[in-house]
Amino acid sequence: MDRKQEIVRNDDKNLEKTRQLYEVRPAVDIYENEDEFVLHADMPGVTKQDISVNLDNGTLFLSGVRKLPVQGAPGLEEFYDIEYVRSFSVPQTIDVSKIEAELKNGVLRLHLPKSEVVKPRQIEIKTA
Amino acid sequence: MFTGLGDIDRLFGTMNLLQKKLDNLYSNYGNPSAYRWQFEETLPRTNLYENGDNFEVRAEVPGIEKDSLNVKIQGNYLEISGTRTSDSPDGYKVHKAERGTGSFSRSFTLPADVDSSKAQATLKDGILYLTLPKAEAAKPKKIVVG
Repeated sequence: MDRKQEIVRNDDKNLEKTRQLYEVRPAVDIYENEDEFVLHADMPGVTKQDISVNLDNGTLFLSGVRKLPVQGAPGLEEFYDIEYVRSFSVPQTIDVSKIEAELKNGVLRLHLPKSEVVKPRQIEIKTA
Repeated sequence: MFTGLGDIDRLFGTMNLLQKKLDNLYSNYGNPSAYRWQFEETLPRTNLYENGDNFEVRAEVPGIEKDSLNVKIQGNYLEISGTRTSDSPDGYKVHKAERGTGSFSRSFTLPADVDSSKAQATLKDGILYLTLPKAEAAKPKKIVVG
């Protein structure tokens, strides 16, 4: 093979085990109405300090790191410390200054209001 | 066997293709790309730690209120059940709906009996933490060498 592949990870050779933080896509729901977009993302175990929401150049970037203290010997382990990462393309018509984010019960809720210019407007028909 | 350079070239081309496939196979090795929350198909992921006199159980339950979670303990039997209701706002168009809703129930057989009267459960940041003290008979005992 032209590229050396390490089938056995180096971690296994080290006596000290350090865990790699895997990047995981959180499950999201996205809703839209005339005024705003709403995004809900599942990020169980992520605290407010470890979450970041960035909107840059039309890309919304979500990141949340989960750091759970481990106590005792693991018997059954189905989840571990991870980083939730996901990015979305958002239309340029979002009013960046009015974005609201809320984290509750491990669910991140984002409100992305549309700017006034692009909101659909009912045009009144005047009778002559 | 080979009638010309073209055949050899083709043979190597096929080998390269195979090699690329193998490379891709190994680069994904150990990467849990399938690690995704599928509530409707699977149950909440749960961790169990044994910590001396206690069992520590953790379960991922994002978006579930305390009132819609139930924990049942009997001897060494543990059952976690609950319901996740849809939190979709009314009057909105849905673009993506990956977060499942519905009820779940998951049961475990713990390695030892627990004292259900002293069990504690807390819900924090979408994770259910259970502290289950082992029953007297199951606790580790220190034996003094006489």
